[in-house]
This record gives sequence, C-alpha cells and structure tokens, in this order.
Amino acid sequence: MSRRFMAATITLLSLCAPAFAHHGNSAYDETARVPIKGVITEFVWVNPHSQIYMDVKDKNGSIVHWAVETNSPGILSRAGWTRRSIKPGDEVTIILCPAKNNAPVAYIGSGDPGTKVIFADGHELDFKDKTGAAQ
Amino acid sequence: MVVSVKMKNFVVCTFVVVAALMVSPFAMSQAAQFDPRDLSGVWQLAPGGGGQGPGDNFPPLTVWGQARYDTNKPGYGPKAAPGGNDPILKCDPMGFPRIMFAIWPFEIIPIRGRILMFFEGHHTIREIWMDGRKLPDDPDPRWYGYSVGRWEGDTLVVETIGFNDKTWLGAQGQPHSDEMRTIERYHRIDRDTIEFNLVIEDPKTYTKTWNTEPRLIKSRPGVEIPESFCVASEEEEFSKRIREPAARQPGKE
Repeated sequence: MSRRFMAATITLLSLCAPAFAHHGNSAYDETARVPIKGVITEFVWVNPHSQIYMDVKDKNGSIVHWAVETNSPGILSRAGWTRRSIKPGDEVTIILCPAKNNAPVAYIGSGDPGTKVIFADGHELDFKDKTGAAQ
Repeated sequence: MVVSVKMKNFVVCTFVVVAALMVSPFAMSQAAQFDPRDLSGVWQLAPGGGGQGPGDNFPPLTVWGQARYDTNKPGYGPKAAPGGNDPILKCDPMGFPRIMFAIWPFEIIPIRGRILMFFEGHHTIREIWMDGRKLPDDPDPRWYGYSVGRWEGDTLVVETIGFNDKTWLGAQGQPHSDEMRTIERYHRIDRDTIEFNLVIEDPKTYTKTWNTEPRLIKSRPGVEIPESFCVASEEEEFSKRIREPAARQPGKE
C-alpha cells in the first residue's frame, strides 16, 4: 500500500469517526440539541474549560441558574471568540447538550456541532475554526 | 479519414499537454514548499477514531494491567461514566503519549541538539534529544519520560523510556506501567501533513506490543500557542460549579 493511498485512507476514515469533545462529557446528552433562553450572569474565560452562567425563567416564572461548560480560550479564540464576547446582562439563546441527570448544567463546544450562542440581535458564536486550517 | 485521425491525435495531445501544464507547476510548488526533515511549525492531530487516545483496541492485558484498567474510571470509551477518576481532572500532567491525542495544537521547535514539542495542552514542553546520545540506563520516572530521536531517511524516530505510571494513555483509561517504552515515527508526506505512528511496548501491562493505528498530523498555519496552563485551583472551582452537579445522580444533593 503506497503512503499516499494510506494517507488518503486515514483521512477518509477520520471523516467517518465521531468527533470527541473534552473529557468527562459522558455526563451530557450529546445527541440532544436543546435551546435555552436566558440572561448572562457571568462568563469565565479560563483554561481548559470556559464557563457561561445564566439566569433562565422556568415554566412557573421562577429563576433557574444554568451553568454551561465550553471549550478552552485557545479553541474559542480560533473560533472567533474573545473574553468580551459574552457579557453579564446579554440576552441569549444557547443551543446546548443538557446534563443527563436533568440538572441545569450543560455543554457546548467544538466536539458537538450545532451547539452555539445566539444573541438577541441575531448574531451567533459557534465553534467552527476560523483560522482557515485544514483539520 | 487520415485528417480526421490526425485531428483526433492533435486534440488528445493538446489535452494532455494542457493538463500537464496545469498540474506540474502545482506539483512542483507543492514539492518545493517543504523540507521533509524540517518539522518546525504548529501542528495538530487530525480527528480520528481514537477518542483522545491511542484507541481501545489494545492487546490483551496482563493481570497487573487488568487490575489497573479496572481501577481507572474514564469519562470516555467503553467504560465511560459521569464523574470518574481521570488524573487530568486535577490538572495532573497528561503525560506522553496522551498529550499527542489531545484536542489542542502543538508546536515543533528544532533547536541545536534537541527538538522541543510545545503543547497547548497544559502549556507543556517536551524535549527530544537529537545529539546522538543513548537512552539512560536507569532514568528517574517522569510524566513525559526521557526521549532520544534520530533520523532514518526522512522519518524522525523517537524512543522514550523512564515514565512514571501515574498517567493514562488516553481519555478512555488505558493503563501503562513504568516499564513502558514508546517508539514514535514522524514522516512528513506533504507540506501540510505528517504521518504519525506510535508503538507501545509495555510487557508489565500488555501481553503484546501495541502497534497503534497510524494517524495524520496536519499543519496549523497562522496559529499561535496561547498561555494554557491547567491550574488546579481553577479546575477545582470548575468541578464544584459544573462537573460535580453534572455528574451527580438524580435525587442526591
């Protein structure tokens, strides 16, 4: 088998392989994409897990505090985020993978395509690499 | 009829020449744009089936290896469960070879007598001695082992011994011992691609040599490695606020 053929085979196999997010994600339902609307209370820009916290009104009108795990600042920067991309008071809808235990905890990130943050004015933050590199 | 055949030949010939002219400068520029022995730059493992590790198709475990594997509670793979005891949850060093399979890029920095690998994962430097020295007889155990490299043709071959046994080989909890020896092969097959092969010899843990699946490493032009320490105090805070609530069994506070 030639090297070129082998490389092409590996590339093709890579495309078929599932994408993996960061460690510990078996706590989340990565087959689900759930929209949750709320108001940002805190954005923690820290390695290796950045975090988004927000207040969400439940069906009864009570406020539920949600905590959302996401990627490292390195990965987020390459996807066009900065530490100022999300601010307290921002009204957002987050398309997320909820915790399997129904706690108000969730994951969004590069390993789960379709997860993203949508702002009230319509602009979005997703996890697609914007550096132009072939991955 | 003769004219028609000539015409046909002319058309075919023109097509071949035009195609060759279109392809050859491209091929030449591709060939000219890299030195197979210069691996400097920022790179990243292409996505593959290993799940942040060398895969779970490892050789049969020894009794010692099985006991270790039973103890490991990973967040990924056949044994995945929320919570767990992955050493990196406390910001322990990922160690080699696990860091190769992380989701972050790394930079290869050749300097005199050494090649450095600067990983975004945990802001880690690994050194590979290239000055012809032998592996030490009795190295102190280390998270990244003691590595010496050499060129075999255009393939960089790196041998490493002197590991501690505190790390996992991947996020799926594959164990290893302090007797592990790894052999890496890096072969740059075009400007943007390195073929990466990893062999793991660890008779204390596995009954056979593990020839892991070959993987591709792709160049990441324009990417700079940011500061990316894993800080235990920050990780502990993250665990309290997110990891533990996400892993808690329903009904238990």
